[in-house]
Amino acid sequence: MKQKAPLLDTLLGLVAVAGLIALYAPLVAVAALSFFQITRVRGVMGFAPFSLEPYAALIANGEILAALATSLIVAMVASLASLVLALMFAFYFVSARRRFGLMMQMMVFLPFLLPPIITGLSLLIAFREIDFARGLATIIVGHIVFIVPVVYRTVLVRLQLLGGSLTEASLDLGASRVQTLVHVILPQMRPALISGALLAFAISFDETLITLFVAGSETTLPIRLWAMMRVGFVPEINALATLILLVTALITLAIGLLQRGQAERAS
Amino acid sequence: MSTTSSSHRSARPRRRGIVRDLLWHGLNLGLPLLFVVLPILSFVLVSFWTLTNGQIVHTLTLANYRAFFTEGSYLQVYLGTVLLSAQVTLINVVLAIAIAVFIFRRTPRVRFLILMSFMLPLFMSYIIKIYSIRSILGQRGLLNEGLLALGLIDQPIEVLLFSRTAIFIALAVLYLPYAILPIYLALDRIPANYLAASADLGATPLQALRDIVLPLGRPGIAAGAVFTFILTFGDFVTPQMVGGTQGFTFGRIVFSQFGLALNWPLGSALAVILLATTLLAVALAGLTLRREHVR
Repeated sequence: MKQKAPLLDTLLGLVAVAGLIALYAPLVAVAALSFFQITRVRGVMGFAPFSLEPYAALIANGEILAALATSLIVAMVASLASLVLALMFAFYFVSARRRFGLMMQMMVFLPFLLPPIITGLSLLIAFREIDFARGLATIIVGHIVFIVPVVYRTVLVRLQLLGGSLTEASLDLGASRVQTLVHVILPQMRPALISGALLAFAISFDETLITLFVAGSETTLPIRLWAMMRVGFVPEINALATLILLVTALITLAIGLLQRGQAERAS
Repeated sequence: MSTTSSSHRSARPRRRGIVRDLLWHGLNLGLPLLFVVLPILSFVLVSFWTLTNGQIVHTLTLANYRAFFTEGSYLQVYLGTVLLSAQVTLINVVLAIAIAVFIFRRTPRVRFLILMSFMLPLFMSYIIKIYSIRSILGQRGLLNEGLLALGLIDQPIEVLLFSRTAIFIALAVLYLPYAILPIYLALDRIPANYLAASADLGATPLQALRDIVLPLGRPGIAAGAVFTFILTFGDFVTPQMVGGTQGFTFGRIVFSQFGLALNWPLGSALAVILLATTLLAVALAGLTLRREHVR
């Protein structure tokens, strides 16, 4: 039981509310401006009545849609590949000698601990040294390198929670290792795998700093938006932003519910 | 698990077992080596080369590092960026402590909801948040227009956008959740009976906060500070988008060497300095924690 401290709680509450306002103001502003465009009559700011014009313009904007398609492809390939790699690394960590496992883990975690600018730049230089042209493949590799540590962490926690007894029982009962993996281990890990994949997808879809280094002429959505914003204002950005916010909010909610379900089952 | 797998392995023909082991170790250690460690080593190597007349000279020199200390305004921008990141880290850690303690003092049922609502913006598009912050802070932005309409100011505040202040605000808003999460997770691990005991012994909530909650939350506070510093120090898009020509940060200089300026060796050397700075920040945080343990 916590003691009551009205003054302390009020002060902390004020900071928390201010923090929420600062965090959500940019999101709310984008969504509001996508429906009510800003108008200026002789320098005085006002709002146009509700309209879906930016959304119509968005559907007609081929450049944005092409970048969106690229982003979806990259995010899908990168998150699936990361899931497979993360699973492999997690199995390695629990089965190999501790020294090797820790060595692998340190290397895998590096890109997540270092600033993204370092990861992006080192990949750019490495690709250049082996004369590998920048394009879709380099973007995907860059994303995988950045995402794997996150998925690995999610998967490993679940795998360690699972323990070895189920695997042993399955092998003792005559199942092959592949059968054990497919029928015993993977089903047990489904929540971790799904939330790991969703997390990977969300991060990849949004990745900007590494992509700026490793993207050649291919552009993902964030890079396209970055380029557009440097030139000036385009109303359809607000519409697109609102849609993206909506989708990411749903994905995040799904991850949150999954992880909470997992935590409750564990306790 | 490891015992079962090894006994199974030894039961099979030896040759195949060795090949499979090699492949297994090779994949798990080789892939990270190839895609993480080697690229980092390669850019460290490039930092010792030089660029002369548009050609990369493959002899090892310290010329790029010398340039950092002597030429242009590299050192000045570097120090300015360290200061800026340190300021953002300080304000965000203070805010995050207050917010984490606020969440910590709620009942377990609402804690998760409040924490989630602070984490949700983290998953929202980074570039769109910057763009929106820019439209809020602009000279004719929502904030200025709002303040004007309310009659709180007569003239738009000009320093809000394309200034150091703008970068400061934008970075603080963008990276706040990264400070809240580790601090809250550290507080969450504090056993409830510690607080019950301290209350029984007559400690006021403020004393409990000062003597129990904050000391035990220290690892989280250090982690939050390190995350914030590393991410703000390495960010080069935010300063460019909201800082304009005023906001030349170290990360931007590094990035520009790979774009317009096209001096990869110099860019690599500056990036090595950036990397060393972040490692130093990690080491410093580790040091403060270790001292705490000894005492």
